[in-house]
Amino acid sequence: MADSNVSYNPLPDGERPRPTRRRSIVLVLSGLLVVGFLVALLSDNGSIAPTNVIDNDNNNVNDNAQNGLNDVSSSSKDPERLRPFTSASSAGVSEKSNRRFGARTASYPWTNNMLSWQRTAFHFQPQKNWMNDPNGPVFYKGWYHLFYQYNPNGAIWGDIVWGHAVSKDLIHWYHLPLAMVADQWYDIMGVWTGSATILPDGKLMMLYTGSTNESVQVQNLAYPADPSDPLLIKWVKYPGNPVLVPPPGIGAKDFRDPTTAWLTSEGKWRIAIGSRINRTGITFVYDTKDFINYELLRGVLHGVPNTGMWECVDFYPVSTTGEHGLDTSHNGPGVKHVVKASMDDDRHDYYAIGTYHEKNVTWVPDNPEIDVGIGIRYDYGLFYASKTFYDQNKKRRVLWGWIGESDSEIADVKKGWASLQGIPRTVALDTKTGSNLLQWPVEEVDSLRLTSKEFKKIELKPGSVMPLDVGSATQLDIVAEFELDKAALEKTAESNVEFSCSSSEGSAERGALGPFGLLVLADDSLSEQTPVYFYIAKGKDGSLKTYFCTDQSRSSEANDVNKSKYGSFVPVLEGEKFSMRVLVDHSIVEGFAQGGRTTITSRVYPTKAIYGAARVFLFNNATGASVTSSLKAWQMNSAFIRPYPDDDDERHSGTEPTYEVRGSKTKYLGNLLTSSLLFLNARNNFL
Amino acid sequence: MKAILFVFPFVLAVAYFPISQCQNLPLIEQTCKQTPYYGLCVTSLKSDPRSKTAGDVQAIALIMVDIIKAKAGGSLQHIEKLKQKYPALRVPLSACKDRFNAIIIGDVPQAVEALTKGDPKFAVDAANDAALEADSCERGFSGKSPITQMNKLNHDISIITASIVKTML
Repeated sequence: MADSNVSYNPLPDGERPRPTRRRSIVLVLSGLLVVGFLVALLSDNGSIAPTNVIDNDNNNVNDNAQNGLNDVSSSSKDPERLRPFTSASSAGVSEKSNRRFGARTASYPWTNNMLSWQRTAFHFQPQKNWMNDPNGPVFYKGWYHLFYQYNPNGAIWGDIVWGHAVSKDLIHWYHLPLAMVADQWYDIMGVWTGSATILPDGKLMMLYTGSTNESVQVQNLAYPADPSDPLLIKWVKYPGNPVLVPPPGIGAKDFRDPTTAWLTSEGKWRIAIGSRINRTGITFVYDTKDFINYELLRGVLHGVPNTGMWECVDFYPVSTTGEHGLDTSHNGPGVKHVVKASMDDDRHDYYAIGTYHEKNVTWVPDNPEIDVGIGIRYDYGLFYASKTFYDQNKKRRVLWGWIGESDSEIADVKKGWASLQGIPRTVALDTKTGSNLLQWPVEEVDSLRLTSKEFKKIELKPGSVMPLDVGSATQLDIVAEFELDKAALEKTAESNVEFSCSSSEGSAERGALGPFGLLVLADDSLSEQTPVYFYIAKGKDGSLKTYFCTDQSRSSEANDVNKSKYGSFVPVLEGEKFSMRVLVDHSIVEGFAQGGRTTITSRVYPTKAIYGAARVFLFNNATGASVTSSLKAWQMNSAFIRPYPDDDDERHSGTEPTYEVRGSKTKYLGNLLTSSLLFLNARNNFL
Repeated sequence: MKAILFVFPFVLAVAYFPISQCQNLPLIEQTCKQTPYYGLCVTSLKSDPRSKTAGDVQAIALIMVDIIKAKAGGSLQHIEKLKQKYPALRVPLSACKDRFNAIIIGDVPQAVEALTKGDPKFAVDAANDAALEADSCERGFSGKSPITQMNKLNHDISIITASIVKTML
């Protein structure tokens, strides 16, 4: 694979390079020189000693006293109930609302240094401007394709068209020209979200929503202009568009985001489209034989009262017996179906597991109390408009999600871009609980791992913080396990108060059995820190309930960024340790608890804990229990996401580009470090 | 008798066709009731002649976005004057200029797009952000702001706008 950005001369078949002894010495010396150089650059750390108890009162930045200035959020005063029940109306926030302001800090000026640092190294984002929903993800002729809602003209939502990128491995992406622009009356106001379907004969159909010249939401068909082009650069819109308009009685603006189609046993294709009737979110179902003519099936696949408009509906089968993915058309024994929708009202993605009845075109949730829109969320942080696709290449189902910004517009305008895609995740049924999905970063993420540091059985007494010497701390993959003293778990007094990450005091709220976890993107003095942690509460009946949270209240000294706490209950089964995986990639932190039962994505914008000043710590702020932790932390390489080369020959061949990246476009320490590490790594391979 | 028959249709006409101005009062009041600043909402809208003929919540929301834009523009001009008057406050005033600029080139266009093209949630975001920018401007003075009232006004009309658009979701 062309991961290496070091060029080499291809050798005749069968030969392996055999450097001479002298050459080995030269290489080792140059490696040492590079390391020495880096040590010199980074050696302003000073000594790092274990610090003291985290104060409970050193932050007031995130609280319910909003200094008399409100914003439009139904502030989450409702505690998060026992997972899986959450109230759809309890949040009602959008990404730029739900501000909790810092009382003590003045308005913080964003410098170019701080803003440039925020760009991620291995998450998909266009070179500039605004992005939102992932569209039409698909694996076709050897390439993974990602399309996305894009504004070619600015860092705000508007003038939406389809961006496009390809990858061989879901990680290293190449930007391609815009796939579709708003050039027809039926999508002139917006080329909105859609999904791809691959037919058994290999044909690719793309259905998408267009906002017409009168702002009516209609569904349109598009397909590749040249199906033999693996890069699918050019697209054709079906001349007879639109193929679907809002059904009678449905609002012109309440009909969007068609799903991937699935085959029925009658050999017809079936799709779902979200909508609403008054405050009840619903999904319509249509049958078609040709993707051009559709029959609206009677009733709806499903609906849930008081959930509002359902956007980005997704519908797919999961295996009850294994972790492999299933083709969207798959049905039969050993299968359950997931219905997912994005709630326009509260900007969260919810899913529910249930049974699909093909004949009478209904889907029934296993547990109506945790139905779509009122139950489990894919992610308890910023994660919206998500969409899965079946990856027939590796027989897995992969989930994409739009991660917006939670900073202020002034910063987006200054930095010239907004939004990321989350790290792609595999999604499968959790066969141990049977009642939730598991999400995990795709295995190709592991290919970004460079050097690692391992820590075994570190004991953290109550109220302790321990720095972890992992080297650079802005691009990390951390896998950590925690154990509590059994006696401490048993003897803790019962609590009657229901815990909720979002209405707690965050990592500063000390309980008997929590919080404990990691502090990422922290600086030496901990004036900025982003805790990702567990909090164990004891219920009235003596049972333990574990919560997984991310606390943004002290992530940044800036006061125009979101400071709320995210998280939810996470099932921990008998005999399981508390485990988390955390991906840190500049301004995005993604936490996965208990193998992906609960996940949290946050955007963080530190002003100090950036570049070489970022650190990682372990912490235990519980009062009544020691915690023992073992963890491994890897430096993560950049994915070097860049435009596909302009060379027509290379583009026509559809092969992966092999040109080298000359020099370094970036001037920042983080990338310099990773480039150097990659260089060393590549040289090591060569030897 | 004949006179009454002659007059009756006119009486009916007057009874059944309310004066056009009265027709929109319920819409403005009804909409403003769902915002946290009812009085300001009503007076802001009524000060704009377009509110008389606004037919739905979307039209009302677009008027409010226009008011945000106008107020932000006026605030920018005021800030320029203050920079001359209070050279010691140059730094926070410059930050405020950037903030109101972001409202005008970022939040307002996004709100208008979202409302006219049919995805109003992005207008809620934009309006909320406009409130945040005004608030951040105010904080830059660490308590010694010469433009507190102005910032509060910008903040409040933005919140009003966000609340109104939220009812469309």
